[in-house]
Amino acid sequence: MSISESIMARQQIRILMVDDEELIVSAMRKYFEGLGYAVDTAHELEEAQALLANYHYDLVIADLRLTGFGGVEGLEIVSDVHQRCAGTRVVLLSAFGTPEIERESYNRGADAFLHKPKAMMELAQVARNLLAN
Amino acid sequence: MPEHRALNAILAPGGITPFYQPIVDILGEPAIVGFECLSRGPRGTNLESAKVLFDYVRLKREETLVDRACVAAALSEAPRTPGLRLNVNVHASTLGRDADFVDFLRHTAKTHDIELSLLTVEIVEHAPPWNSLGFSKALARLRDLGVRIALDDVGLGQSNFKMILDVAPDYLKIDRYFVEDCESDENRKAVIGAVTSLARHFHAVVVAEGVERIETCETLRHIGVRQVQGYLFGMNLASPEASEYADQFATMYRPRP
Repeated sequence: MSISESIMARQQIRILMVDDEELIVSAMRKYFEGLGYAVDTAHELEEAQALLANYHYDLVIADLRLTGFGGVEGLEIVSDVHQRCAGTRVVLLSAFGTPEIERESYNRGADAFLHKPKAMMELAQVARNLLAN
Repeated sequence: MPEHRALNAILAPGGITPFYQPIVDILGEPAIVGFECLSRGPRGTNLESAKVLFDYVRLKREETLVDRACVAAALSEAPRTPGLRLNVNVHASTLGRDADFVDFLRHTAKTHDIELSLLTVEIVEHAPPWNSLGFSKALARLRDLGVRIALDDVGLGQSNFKMILDVAPDYLKIDRYFVEDCESDENRKAVIGAVTSLARHFHAVVVAEGVERIETCETLRHIGVRQVQGYLFGMNLASPEASEYADQFATMYRPRP
């Protein structure tokens, strides 16, 4: 497959990225768009849920904490995706993840739980593997 | 606060962009009778889509604040079309919770020189329960002011028989889900016929949404639906285009008294 064919194939793939930090979200968007994916972003739990209610995503990458007050909103996104979107893969990212939260995220249906900081290349590799399956 | 970023953007000046969709009476020759005010969220954001906007607002449980912002935007830019009605959407929960909403509506209409008797409040609801006493009081006050009441999305979700009894609306609005392709679907025709029959009992007018084809329009007229909205008679228009559209419509068809 040529590079342009590979990019065109990925353009069919839609990713939702959720993080309350604008810098992180825009950097991730740029990186993944550069790889040829279609990317939407959200900064809040409810914004992400409203998008999930109206659009189909192949992959959701969400931060665990979206409020800055010790919340675990990312877990709600995992549950939402699991209940609403059959076939959508979900990756949870966290700088504060405990083993209990990690277990809980898998219980709710997460496909991967990654500890921050995580290099973009590593994240992209996880995304590629999940989408390939 | 980052966690309210989207809400802040919605409530900021210019956060809501109003559009106006023509409502057309099809009993005889088609005649424009008013516009439904529709809202889009901040440009260039996820919330520009009305569906995402209102799903977000309901998840945030901020219907009251955002309904006010939408009504303010809609009335401030309303097309200057004498004699035509203007429909604004309001959540039932807003009418129930916001004791000052009716005064806000009256004040906003007065500010923009809009007659209350030409306003219709379209009630939308997705998440009961709400304060039913406050809701009933607000409805009674609206009626006292001469505002008409429409029930949106009849047959979907919470917009059910109970709501019809509680509201006794002047208009029953049928969602596009029931309307699309009804000309070739006996089941959809039966549902629309049942709503039309119910409306007759309540002396209400039936308005069908999402009408895109002449065949659909003819079928609806045959069933007894009186008013329609949809791309057959016009896209969602910005205010200046809406005024122009109404003027052109008036030259083609004599307006109804």
